Amino acid sequence: MPEIIIDGRRLKCEEGETVLDVCKRNRIEVPTLCYHEAIESWGGCRLCMVEISHPKWPGWSNWVTACLYPVQDGLVVGTNTTRVRRLRATVLDLLLARCPNSSVIQKLAAEYGVEDTNYEPRLDGDNCILCGLCVRVCDEVIGVTAIGTANRGASKEISEPLKEPPVDCIGCAACAYVCPTDVIQVIQTPDYRVIWDRTFDMYKCVECGISHITVEQKDWLIAKDNLPADYYDLCDICKRKHTAEKQKELSML
Amino acid sequence: MRFNNIKQLEEHREQALKNQQKVKNTILVCGGTGCLASGARDVEDELRKQLAEQGIDMEVELQVKITGCHGFCERGPIVSFIPSGILYEKVKPKHVEEIIEKTIKNDKIVTKLIYKDPATKKKVQQYEEIPFYKHQTRIALRNIGQLDPTSLDDYLVRDGFKGLVKALGMKPGEIVDEIDKSGLRGRGGGGFPTARKWKSCIKAEGEKRYIICNGDEGDPGAFMDRSIMEGDPFDVLEGMIIGAYAIGCEEGFIYVRQEYPLAVVNLRKAIDILREVGLLGENILGSGLNFDIKIARGGGAFVCGESSALMKSVAGKIGEPRAKYIHSTEKGLYDLPTVLNNVETFVNIPIIIEKGGDWFTQFGTEKSRGTKAFALVGRVNNTGLVEVPMGITLRELIFEIGGGIQKGREFKAVQTGGPSGGCIPNELLDLKVDFDELTEQGSMMGSGGMIVMDERTCMVDVARYFLDFLKEESCGKCVPCREGLRQLTALYDRIVAGYGTLEDLDKIEWLAQDVMIGSLCALGKSAPNPVLSTIQFFRDEYEEHIRDKHCRAGVCKALTRLVIHDECIACGKCIEVCPTDAITGAKKTVHVLDQEKCIACGSCVEICPVDCIKVEPVKVAGEVAS
Amino acid sequence: MTLTVESVNSRIDEICADYPVDEASLIEILHDISSEYNFLPADALRRVSERLDVPIARVYGVATFYKGFSLTPRGKTIIRVCKGTACHVRGGDRNLDELQRILGIGAGETSEDLEYTLEVVNCVGACAMAPVVVENETYHRNATPTDMKRMITGEGSDEDEGGDE
Repeated sequence: MPEIIIDGRRLKCEEGETVLDVCKRNRIEVPTLCYHEAIESWGGCRLCMVEISHPKWPGWSNWVTACLYPVQDGLVVGTNTTRVRRLRATVLDLLLARCPNSSVIQKLAAEYGVEDTNYEPRLDGDNCILCGLCVRVCDEVIGVTAIGTANRGASKEISEPLKEPPVDCIGCAACAYVCPTDVIQVIQTPDYRVIWDRTFDMYKCVECGISHITVEQKDWLIAKDNLPADYYDLCDICKRKHTAEKQKELSML
Repeated sequence: MRFNNIKQLEEHREQALKNQQKVKNTILVCGGTGCLASGARDVEDELRKQLAEQGIDMEVELQVKITGCHGFCERGPIVSFIPSGILYEKVKPKHVEEIIEKTIKNDKIVTKLIYKDPATKKKVQQYEEIPFYKHQTRIALRNIGQLDPTSLDDYLVRDGFKGLVKALGMKPGEIVDEIDKSGLRGRGGGGFPTARKWKSCIKAEGEKRYIICNGDEGDPGAFMDRSIMEGDPFDVLEGMIIGAYAIGCEEGFIYVRQEYPLAVVNLRKAIDILREVGLLGENILGSGLNFDIKIARGGGAFVCGESSALMKSVAGKIGEPRAKYIHSTEKGLYDLPTVLNNVETFVNIPIIIEKGGDWFTQFGTEKSRGTKAFALVGRVNNTGLVEVPMGITLRELIFEIGGGIQKGREFKAVQTGGPSGGCIPNELLDLKVDFDELTEQGSMMGSGGMIVMDERTCMVDVARYFLDFLKEESCGKCVPCREGLRQLTALYDRIVAGYGTLEDLDKIEWLAQDVMIGSLCALGKSAPNPVLSTIQFFRDEYEEHIRDKHCRAGVCKALTRLVIHDECIACGKCIEVCPTDAITGAKKTVHVLDQEKCIACGSCVEICPVDCIKVEPVKVAGEVAS
Repeated sequence: MTLTVESVNSRIDEICADYPVDEASLIEILHDISSEYNFLPADALRRVSERLDVPIARVYGVATFYKGFSLTPRGKTIIRVCKGTACHVRGGDRNLDELQRILGIGAGETSEDLEYTLEVVNCVGACAMAPVVVENETYHRNATPTDMKRMITGEGSDEDEGGDE
């Protein structure tokens, strides 16, 4: 089992883990914006950069993203060196220039000593930092790929295909859920949900009547996972209740 | 026709050689992009027409061939002759009659068409004697300009597929050892030892392996790979087939920039021919090797020159790079072990196998073996494609082969390595060109683009130009590159508009350093090189822009005021070229430039025969509207 | 020419038939569509998405990521001004300025009558004849603003600078 040293602490880790995995498990704080446990790491925001060196290669050091760098025995990691802090401050400064109105970015930047951006702020922009979590959750986790990116470089944006309401969207709102800066608008009523300029009817729990899933999502999940047609008739809470009652009956028998 | 074994291939080569010997005279018309643009096709058509009219047989004794790029693009269209070795430059259809009469029928020279050395004023008739060619050593470019790129027979006559034939008699490991012995390093810019790359791919586990040729020559100012793919496609393919045999792979791709249509056409033709004769496909030459190559056209994205982005693009996706903490030799295309080499690397493979690794080591330096092709362009007299042994100095390249600076102007810098490289000033001209020396000076040899700059080039503008380019070409995935390059460009925009401060300059350096270590891929990591190297070597020019509101090269329009001085000879040339009619004047009177109308484009400065139009500082920022 | 969904679909089906049903065929197919229509019609992208079974979001992402594709119709004559380094240091910007002035359109734009599209492109690899302007398939070498004027208005003819100087 490999051992690595993070900020002077000798830590045991598993083969195949990343530096960030080890940090998380040991409550070593490393900021992230484009990382999510359920989604494959991407290394886009560059906030989790750490400084590494190795006793095997004296004099060598490098800066890598903790979310992607695989652990190897003997690795020495600094998560809070002067250079790392400067790098993070610059990244946050740049993001603050991109999204001057985002409270999430303002707060994080302030932690690294950046109150006002040193760069030219984008005045007409939204709070999207292009972390790509919405696109990746839709593609990798939900498996729908309803939204994507358009263009590249400085004009890159998250976009509905052909700038039209996304035809493949099932209204699950996972994108809005993972968005770190709350850019994706969701309007929720008991009967419908509006997201990406599309309106989705809600499916109601046959028992308590609560809207718990969009009709499109229900149909899509049933088809994808080959589930019984009535699988989503109950909401999660009622489903649990039912299970509990069934167990109770069983135990009484 | 199909070669089922080596013997059949060699028999065919014999026949091709015999046919070749019957040819008394071959006329080679350069079909490189440069010569085509200057009317090479018209020259070829006229040649064929007149030869046909005179009843001269063009099948056996005399052949007219359109070839790949000769390299001497400055002097095109180029027409040369085998076996006499005569080279004519700037040939027009109107010269054809005389060429046929004198050179073809009577072995005489058309004096006005041969090269005149500007230094010695001597006329040079032989191809090899022209200084531009004399100092070159052509290995990668050895066939280009000498054969019809889509004729298999021409390729076989020039020892084509001898490398493959020899390779098939060796064990795969022996091939890698031979490459190892040659010391060949990747020609795409990185300089990674080719043999080590192949070994690492062979060792990696995977159900299959891929081999990819990187023909995405994205560096602006470079066209070596274009010329090779257009002018010698069989050579590239042969290199790939040998590679496939060495690493054990059945599927290969050649990724070509969409901006290179002729390369795609010629490679397609060559692949079709090789499939037909059985040099691609199943059981190549009876050896048991199965291998085929597909062409993948790029979509137009500089970042796809980066290996992981290129592989995404081959798979039909957006070319976003990934972190390469695991090498693509282990996890490349479709996460399978993949060898990716550049076009020029692949054309070196057949000849190394044919002549042996030791033979290759006689060229170049200890750590940078062999030769390197360069596109020598910009404000140099002899622009074109050259190949020289590594270790040659920049001075030799620019002043001996390149013939020095245009119009006798002052050399200022040479930009190497494309947007990832840097600018090298006068005082470092004696640096040796190889993988390591230029890197030590904050530039790199790169893939081979070499852009010469003179006093009319503004170094602040050059850095801004590269930033602007990279800002557009960044894939947009990571923050330092996407946002950092945008902000760096904004800072430069302030400086060239006359609003920059010395604090801005500090900010640029600070941010550039963070973009360098913070970015995800090589595009972002190397993007600050042009910025930092111009600040290091040309800081005075930056300060002049900022403090004196002066662009001495007259490039940054907001900081340029053009003034006609009394030396004016009233020739009227500037009046003719001025796009906004800002210059007025008559014969024998010094011309007058209306500052209100002037857009400081500099057309007049370029054309003025006596250099009487000078660049002067503006007094206040924004004084000259643009 | 009006493009109906039916005509586009049947043409796209023909194009797709030449390629394996695989995401890897996407860029090649988009090139073919581009040569067919001079741009990528939205209906064509929808059809390709169906035929290759690649989500439209990904097709759209690729179509907008790569510079070789345009989602809006382009002019009959496409003028490409090379912005390679060699062209830049030899004053290529002057040609762009002049073309913008004469045509009244900016880089990346198409004239209203669909006659001209003006594009700024990455190095076309013809650096030895910088600055270069490419008019459809024709390369103009050592181009000057005066040449640009002549190219568009057709006034005068190319001067002969042949070898007999």
